[in-house]
Amino acid sequence: MSVAVAQYAALSRRSLVTTIRQPRAFIPPILFPLMFMALSSAAFDRTTQLPGFPPSDSFLQFLICTTIVQGALFASIAAGSDMAHDIEEGFFDRLIASPVARTSILAGRVMGSFVFGFFQAWFYFGVAALFGLTVEGGFLGMLGVTIVAAMFAAGIASIASAFAIRTGSSEAVLGAFPLLFSLMFISGLFFPRTLMDGWFKTAATINPLSHMVEGMRAQVITGLDVSEWLSAVVIAAGFFVVGLTLASLALRRRLSVSS
Amino acid sequence: MSTSEVTWGIARRSIVLITRLPSAFFPSLMMPVFLTISFAGAFSGIVELPGFPAEKAIDWFIPMTTIQGAAFAGITTGMSVARDFESGFYDRFLASPASRASLLGGTLLAATLRALAPLCLLTFVAVVAGANLHAGAMTIVVLGVACLGVGLCAGAWAVGLAIRFKSTQITPLMQSGMFLAVFLSTAQMPIHLLTGWLHAVARVNPVTNVLQLARQGFLGDVTWSTTWPGLVALAGMIVFLVGFAYRGMQRVIP
Repeated sequence: MSVAVAQYAALSRRSLVTTIRQPRAFIPPILFPLMFMALSSAAFDRTTQLPGFPPSDSFLQFLICTTIVQGALFASIAAGSDMAHDIEEGFFDRLIASPVARTSILAGRVMGSFVFGFFQAWFYFGVAALFGLTVEGGFLGMLGVTIVAAMFAAGIASIASAFAIRTGSSEAVLGAFPLLFSLMFISGLFFPRTLMDGWFKTAATINPLSHMVEGMRAQVITGLDVSEWLSAVVIAAGFFVVGLTLASLALRRRLSVSS
Repeated sequence: MSTSEVTWGIARRSIVLITRLPSAFFPSLMMPVFLTISFAGAFSGIVELPGFPAEKAIDWFIPMTTIQGAAFAGITTGMSVARDFESGFYDRFLASPASRASLLGGTLLAATLRALAPLCLLTFVAVVAGANLHAGAMTIVVLGVACLGVGLCAGAWAVGLAIRFKSTQITPLMQSGMFLAVFLSTAQMPIHLLTGWLHAVARVNPVTNVLQLARQGFLGDVTWSTTWPGLVALAGMIVFLVGFAYRGMQRVIP
């Protein structure tokens, strides 16, 4: 194994272990989407009978991808907050002073979120299965959804890391949360866009999250659909590329100030 | 100082803190506005469900988000008490000759008054967004009664926890307790359209009756038969939660 790969692996592992060792940091981001899933699937189950509602066995089947995206979003913001903690506590400066590759500082954090997002999505599928979820796309459909979720988690972790590197403050990272929360709410995540109207429907249609989750949802409610899956992958990759660009620029700027 | 002077002094301090520390109160004011826009926009199609009682989604959701705003406002009072415990300031109150009842009374009065802020803001939002006020001014009166009652209950819950844990780290429990109390009711759908376990829980949750009280003017006329169950539920919640806070206040040692 080359030195660079070993460094990437070590920092990814550290990012994952840091998350797992802080139950207070990772349990709420996992539990809140589950709680929302339980409440909404019981409250809105009858809405699946509405004309225009995508053909679904239950609201749970419609909602599961929303839960997965919510979980990825929450956990990745927490990852960005951890990065800010590293800066606040001086660990980041020690990394810079060491001979470690600069890119591994960022890649480690992002890869940690990718892995966490991937397994978190499988966990949500497992919990929902206990409550009767059926996935029309089968194992491959679930694998497709979890891959998109992991890419999205890495993208949001990059954006949160960009905030962290730029500001060096975990409060500022958490302050960005309402912005991402709004992006999630004004979309087709919680209800079909076909049943919305007015400016809200327009805003939800412009929001790329709507199209990403619809691409994921197709695998669950209609069966394997490669074109829908690819559209979800492209959007998740878009978040990843934008996030990574912002984070790289922020890192370069911080390094130039430090040196 | 008399008991009423102490009560008013504590309440006044808590209200003044809003202007001194707006970052602690402002999110609790804006969150219900955001929830209103999100729920009324995202779930606009649910009015098409057979048996759904509202003409517009905003008529159904705005009383719920106003109640949620009142609960958030009450919780910020508890958060202030927790901060005062952390800084040691509250210990000075406890060591003073003021009665524990007046200390608690002042804090709970502030929680109730703080609930007026989301009530006013969301009434404005309701009017601007074209919500139906079928019962005219009475729509806002019954909504106001429900809000002030919920603000008091949330304040008592949050203060009771703050007194017992003496730390702002208990804030998530304050928030999630009220969040669950509201959402395990008819917050999202009417009782006859709920299914499974949520239907069973919402039937016995007193917040269901409080929401019925708050919503009635947006859905039709204000009547005694839809008002008294809400008032009884509020009275029961107030007795229980103020008792919870009072027991904590009596036992706390500076």
